[in-house]
Amino acid sequence: MDLIYSLIAVIGTLVVAFIVSLFLPGIERKFIHARIQQRVGPPITSPGIMAPLKFFFKQTITPESPMPRLYNALPLISLIIVVILLLLLIPQMYFLGALASVIALVGFLKVEEIMYMFMGSLSRSVLSVRMPFPDKAKGAAHPETTQSFFEELSSLRAFRLIAFGSFPVYIAIFVAVAMSGSIYLQDIITYQQVHGPILFTVAGVMGAIVFFIGYMILLNEYPFAILKGKPDVVEGPYLEYAAKYRAYVYITRGFLMFTLSTLFATLFLGIAPNILNPTFIITIIVALLFPMLMAVLSAFSPIFTYKQFYPTVAGVSIIGVLAIVAAAL
Amino acid sequence: MDDNKQNRTVIEAEVPMGTVHPAALEPYRLRLFVEDEIVRDAEMTVGVNHRGVERIMEGLPVEKANSLTEKICGICSNSHIWNSCRTAEIALGIDVPQRATYIRIIMEELERLHSHLLYLAHGSEVLGHETFSMRLFYIRETVMDLLGMIGGNRVQYGSAVLGGIRPRCELDEMRLQKITEGMDLLEEKITAFADRFVSDPMVMSRITGVGVISQKDALRLACSGPTLRATGVARDLRREMEEYDPFEFDVITQDDGDVKSQLLMRVFENFEAIKIIRQAVHDLPDGPITNRSWEMQDTPITKSYIEVPRGTLYHSYALEDGRVRNCVIRTPSLANIGAMQHACIGYHITDAQLSVVQCDPCFTCTDRAIEIIKI
Repeated sequence: MDLIYSLIAVIGTLVVAFIVSLFLPGIERKFIHARIQQRVGPPITSPGIMAPLKFFFKQTITPESPMPRLYNALPLISLIIVVILLLLLIPQMYFLGALASVIALVGFLKVEEIMYMFMGSLSRSVLSVRMPFPDKAKGAAHPETTQSFFEELSSLRAFRLIAFGSFPVYIAIFVAVAMSGSIYLQDIITYQQVHGPILFTVAGVMGAIVFFIGYMILLNEYPFAILKGKPDVVEGPYLEYAAKYRAYVYITRGFLMFTLSTLFATLFLGIAPNILNPTFIITIIVALLFPMLMAVLSAFSPIFTYKQFYPTVAGVSIIGVLAIVAAAL
Repeated sequence: MDDNKQNRTVIEAEVPMGTVHPAALEPYRLRLFVEDEIVRDAEMTVGVNHRGVERIMEGLPVEKANSLTEKICGICSNSHIWNSCRTAEIALGIDVPQRATYIRIIMEELERLHSHLLYLAHGSEVLGHETFSMRLFYIRETVMDLLGMIGGNRVQYGSAVLGGIRPRCELDEMRLQKITEGMDLLEEKITAFADRFVSDPMVMSRITGVGVISQKDALRLACSGPTLRATGVARDLRREMEEYDPFEFDVITQDDGDVKSQLLMRVFENFEAIKIIRQAVHDLPDGPITNRSWEMQDTPITKSYIEVPRGTLYHSYALEDGRVRNCVIRTPSLANIGAMQHACIGYHITDAQLSVVQCDPCFTCTDRAIEIIKI
């Protein structure tokens, strides 16, 4: 009976998460971006449901890539990692011990980040192809330079994000660890059931702000969209994805939005995602609120260059460290 | 040979952008030579969208040729037809009625407003600020409605004809009232936008001190129009055009020559354009709108320069049996290409497109057959 109960909880949570995540891009674009910009916006189902659906039925083309099959597999691998992340947050999976700890979550998030680096280094879009005229013609400046692709630039930026850009979200995760004194999700939730949500403490508020900035950076949302900024690298690592592989990219992004919000609810509110628990509605509310807040911030921001990006990450990371210190005291 | 060796050692990698790039919206090729994402050199090339308008104009009756010039640019179509007509009017000694001149100036200043607003919207888009971009497009709609009301179209109004303006573009009381109301609305909206724009610390951080063109470089590179004025040079051809003599307006300049100066330059020029339109509406003389009393004759090559939204526009041609011969057109973006290349250098690659866009490029119009003469 317990096994069936657990199976229903796990599968049900995943299914609901999947359905909600399909609507998140639509909500972000229709109700926030479009309203702020005083336009009608797309139908709510368009960005998250209809677009992937459409792409599933498009003709698949071979991407311009040195390893096209690996390149095409990466969005699916990303999706699997995000699904694993959500699975590990579900209380019925806490029997996995160390896998249901923040260390494992950080590890999986890092793998997710590394995917962008691989995608970027494996893509060779036509947008960066050298022209016979005038690039190679007599008289062209520097005719023998090494040619870079936009995606290589994205790949380098993904590396920098791994090195420093995603600090905020990881620091924020450790605020909950410092407060509860344990790396295990079960202990963090139990601590909050006894002492109340971490969010309602000074360290929790600081941690939540830091987490939110980290959430935006992980999702490559404006103003932190250095991986796929329109002014230079266009879509960056995603440039060569077509048909169903592009659909996976869209679905993964929506699912990552939901998973990160769920992680926040677990670490800062003590509410684990479980469809059989009425508090699951709070998880969904958090999952809806985060993209909405993100959309508001991104609608009013220009894209950052390193000049703005480094100080922002440094400043937010300092707040995160202070939050950890405050939590440990 | 030695130069090539030196280039190979200095430049690490090239990031080519275009001729199709979503940030550019124009067919040009920008090769950025970068070191750790900092642009060390840049090369810009146009030439993929050459339409040969001058060649098509060769031998056409001057009236038809004038209409064709409107197709050169979708943004400053009125400037082209006005300057083309002006060229023939200078050659044939046609006196344009005062009322027609005033209406031409109203059209030109409306076009300046819509061009500058489009520039600001495009600049905001390249900046990554979609909301500002959308709002500017909304503000611009007021101008587009007025242009549509006068010319019948949103893009090619065909207002200027030889000796005056088309009857369709005559301004009655109702139209004048609408223009006045439109200017009030625009002034209010542009002021609100400018306040919001300059008070945004994130936007200011992105545009201040980026893509700097010094005054010395701007003069050396023979920049034109607002791009030159944003470096502090008060040079505006409208001051020298007799059509603008009755109007009072300031030549706006900015000092820094960076993206911020270029953007603010256009914002302030909008207010001057509104000022000119108000004067033209208020003082619009009575009388005919077309002078039909002229005769066609053969003329040598005649030149005409006018100040258009992007700078100085040049048209020249000769007339032979009422047909156009040896036509040459030079659009202002051609003069600013050097500045665009120069502005990229030394800045981050994300700022490179912004540095190009700050000079208000219009490359499809610029794509002319030219011969570069080394001075």
